[in-house]
This record gives sequence, C-alpha cells and structure tokens, in this order.
Amino acid sequence: MRDDLRLLYLLIVYDIHKIMRYKVFILMRVAWFSVQVGFFAYLISHIVGQRFGGELTYYHFYLLGAYTSILFTVSMFRGYETAQEFEEGLIEYMLSLPIKRKILAIGRILGGSIASFILTLPMMLIVLFLLGAFDLFSISLAMASAMIFSIGIVSLSISLVFLIKSGDATDITFGILDSLLVRLSTVFYPAIILLSFIPYYYVSSVNPLSYLADFLRWIFYPQELSKYLINNPMNLAFFIIGFATSMLVLATIFIEKKIEGGGWK
Amino acid sequence: MSSGRDVAISIRNFVKRFGDIVAVRGLNLDIYDREIFGLLGPNGSGKSTTMLTIATVYRPTEGDIYVYGKSVSRESDEVRKYVGIAFQEPKAMWIDKPIEILTWHARVIGYSMSDARRVVREVMEMLDLWEQRNKMFSELSGGTRKKVEVAKVLIQRPRVAIFDEPTAQLDVIAKHIVWKAIKELSREGSTVIVATNEMYEAEALSERIGIIYKGELKGLGTPAELKDKIPGGDIIEIHIEGSLDPLTKQMLAEKLGAYKIDHNNGLIRIYVDKGEEKITPAIEMLSNKVKIKMISMKEPSLDDVFMFFTGARLGE
Repeated sequence: MRDDLRLLYLLIVYDIHKIMRYKVFILMRVAWFSVQVGFFAYLISHIVGQRFGGELTYYHFYLLGAYTSILFTVSMFRGYETAQEFEEGLIEYMLSLPIKRKILAIGRILGGSIASFILTLPMMLIVLFLLGAFDLFSISLAMASAMIFSIGIVSLSISLVFLIKSGDATDITFGILDSLLVRLSTVFYPAIILLSFIPYYYVSSVNPLSYLADFLRWIFYPQELSKYLINNPMNLAFFIIGFATSMLVLATIFIEKKIEGGGWK
Repeated sequence: MSSGRDVAISIRNFVKRFGDIVAVRGLNLDIYDREIFGLLGPNGSGKSTTMLTIATVYRPTEGDIYVYGKSVSRESDEVRKYVGIAFQEPKAMWIDKPIEILTWHARVIGYSMSDARRVVREVMEMLDLWEQRNKMFSELSGGTRKKVEVAKVLIQRPRVAIFDEPTAQLDVIAKHIVWKAIKELSREGSTVIVATNEMYEAEALSERIGIIYKGELKGLGTPAELKDKIPGGDIIEIHIEGSLDPLTKQMLAEKLGAYKIDHNNGLIRIYVDKGEEKITPAIEMLSNKVKIKMISMKEPSLDDVFMFFTGARLGE
C-alpha cells in the first residue's frame, strides 16, 4: 500500500513535470485568456446588458463560464498527450515499470488532472481578480470543485484515447467534443434562456460543464446569479462529485483492462 | 531444473498475434539463472515481441512465459518486480534531460532520492554520459540516446535484465563499455537476455544463443555447439609441398570422415565435423607422404550458423 502511494506520487510528479515544459504554450494561453476576459468579455457583457437590461451582470456570468471552458479544454488535452505517448512509444516504457496497472491508470488520471488544474490556475486567478473575489473559503471551494471536475474530464479523455487508438480519429473526436460540449452547456448561455430551446436545454442539463460553471457562479454570486443556474447548488455539487468519481472508477477499470490485455496496441 | 541449472525464464508454447500477423509461433525455450542469453535474428523475426512479453508489455495470445515461476499472463505485477528492459528505440520525451529521465526511473524502481542521485551519477559516468546530463534528449545523438536507455537497466540491476539491440548506433569504444557493463551485471547475479542482429555481439556476450527466424526458434546452444551442428562446418587447411595422390586423398577422407576434400596449389582443405579432434590423425597420415608446411583450422562463423539454421543471411 505504501509502495503504491509512492508510485502514485511519482506518476503525478511525472505529469506535473511534463506541463512545465510548455512554458511558451502556457504564456500564450494566459495572454489570450487575459485579452478574452479583459476586453472581449467586457464588450459582449456591455452588448448583453444593453439588450436585456441591468438585471443580469453578464460579465460575472461570462468570466466563470470562460474559466470552465478553458479548464475543460486543457483537461481534454491530457488525452492528446497520452496519444502522443503512444506514438513516441512511452506507453511501452510505462507498462514495463514495476507499477500495478491500476496504480498506473489512477496515477496518470490524477497526475493529468492536477497538471491541468495547475496549468489553468493563472486563468482562475485572473478571473478572481477581475471579479474582485478574494474570500478565501470561496476561492478554496472553487479550486476544489475545479480539481474534481478535471478528474472526471481527464478520465474521459484518456479512456477515449485507449478506446479510439487512432491518432486522426482522436483528433476529430476531441475537436467535436470540445466544440459541442462547450456550446451545449450553460458555460456562456444562462439556463433560463436555454429553456426557450428545449432539446438544447436538456443536453445542457446533463452536461458536466454546465454544472461546474453554475456551481462556480453560485459560490461567488449566490444572490445575483442563483435564478440563472441549471439546478440547485446541492445538486450541482453532487453532480460534479458523482461525475468525477464514476468517470475515475470506470476509466480505471477500462484502462486497466485495455493495457493488461494488450488492447492498447 | 534443466541441464543441471536453475531455470529463470521458461517459455512454453508461446504464440503472439497482432491481428492477422503472427509475430511468434509456438516458442519453447528455457533461459537459465544468471546466464547471458543471446537471441539472434533479423528485424521482424519475433525477438522484440518475445522480450516485450517477458517484460509484460504484451500478453501472450497462446501459451505462457514464466519468470522465476511467475506467469506473465496471470501474475504480471509480480513479474515486473524482476524484470528491467532497455528498449530497441530509446523511450523518453524529447524535451526531457537524461538526468531527469534516469532519476525519475531510479525513483520508480525504489531508490530514495539521495541514492537515486548517487546511482544515476555512477552509471552515467560509467557510460560516459555525465557531461551530457543536462542536454535535451532531442539534442543527443542516436548513440547517446541508446546509452541513456541502457543506463535505465544498469541503474535498476534487475534479476532479469533485457537488452534489445543494446549497442545499435554505438561506436566501437562505447560498444565495449556496454558489453563490459552487461557482463558485470551477469556476474552480480542478473539473468541477462540480449537480442541482437549482430553476430559478433551475440558471440562476444552470450553463453548460449537462440536463433529466431520468422517467429520460430531455429537453433539453440552455445556458440561452439551451434557451429558443431553444421555438417562439415570445420575446415582443416594444410599447406604442403608437392601434390597429393588420389589414393591418399581417398584414405584421408575415409579416416577423418570428411564431407569433402579440396586440393589446389599445395593447399588441402578438409571439411569435417569437430575439426579440433581430426587435426592429429590428419598430420599422422600425411607426414609420411608429403612435407607439411603449415596447418590451420577455420571454424564456421555465426553467420554460417545462421545461414545453416534458417537458410537466410541475417541481412535478408
């Protein structure tokens, strides 16, 4: 057990170490995100404000959605990383190490999630700064929920890579998922507006992105944004935890089965 | 137990298929404890597939492989505790540094951070890698990358050390450094398997050699045993003054059990089995008939052995 935890720690270190090599990528992402939330978000909020009046401060709504969107994209990117490891043969090296398959699967998922969270931390801090949200409890709760959400998404993306196995098919699938899941959610559109488009609303109501975005809104703006949420705060929290836990368990079983049976080849 | 030696790895009816492609076809082989075993075969012969299955990277399609009694199919977690492998293609992210790659590897193997640093430095210095420890992996030459891969196993010092073409792309000096390190590993108690498609490497390193071709084991034994299996593989060359009469030639052939005798310009070439045992009788017979100037014996090369067992040259 102690040895398993040591190996789990080393696998997490491996993934965190990997993101440190993307300094330019991170800087570019942070720069672009800053422009998006500092300028374009302000602009679009102004337009929405003029159209719907001052009841909803869309700027608050948008910023937390934008962070959810970037966390989702970065977490999905872990799948690309795994696919890249297939091509470089690193998966064979990993499989030859004295690590139990289950620990390998959990370690890579947790490592990928923590790495994704760290990578998006500057974006979260920018959002919190722009919102003027400095309450430590709220910030801690937001970080914890983002971290848990990322576990679910990384579990999903790595499982997809093991399922698809083809580099091109992975690219297409991830591209479709990224564009569809962000749009079919409450990341940028309030649930109350989506009610006018029933199929859209139903898809959004089972989309994990909706739940994180709305949960973050509830954390920082419980009064102002509560009537725009897709579910009540307790359900939002349970959904995020349930999604992450079930995805982690399913992905671990699936990946373990795939790699032990040589199905990754 | 087999041949009086403990068996470290027992390969039983091992078959590996990738879709419609059969990489290994019913392999049966015992590798003894603490021996250096050479797996000789051309690219695509099934060497790497066999080694990767021993390392539990692949799972047998049929049959099984036992490493110190543990099944790679059913007890892979246990098997991995015994095995370390240096892959044919070095495995590392291109933007990592050798020192990071090897330190992380050492930590996974179970070294504490301080021990990992010490062992990594020792091995890197031994392989003449230390000066390049902080270069990006992508900046290293093919030979240096290969040394980083070999270093992983030398750091690990596993009970079963597998090297897949360990000296490919290395210069002559580096080859000898790696060979010395592999022999040292064996002396310290590791069972070593070396896959190679280079004859001289198989002969320089291995106590026994398995010849694998198109997924099948074609020959097995010590280099000397394999050479002895070629009928008439040894050639006794005798330089004489004058000529050899047909009757003496016929008697010589009968007495030595020669497959063939060539005689041309004072050089007699006698093709026999176990040539070292036939030199003395040949001298005794010929010394009364002709003046012998020089005698030598040529053994078949491993290339000849490979040709004999597979019907193909290694490059084919």
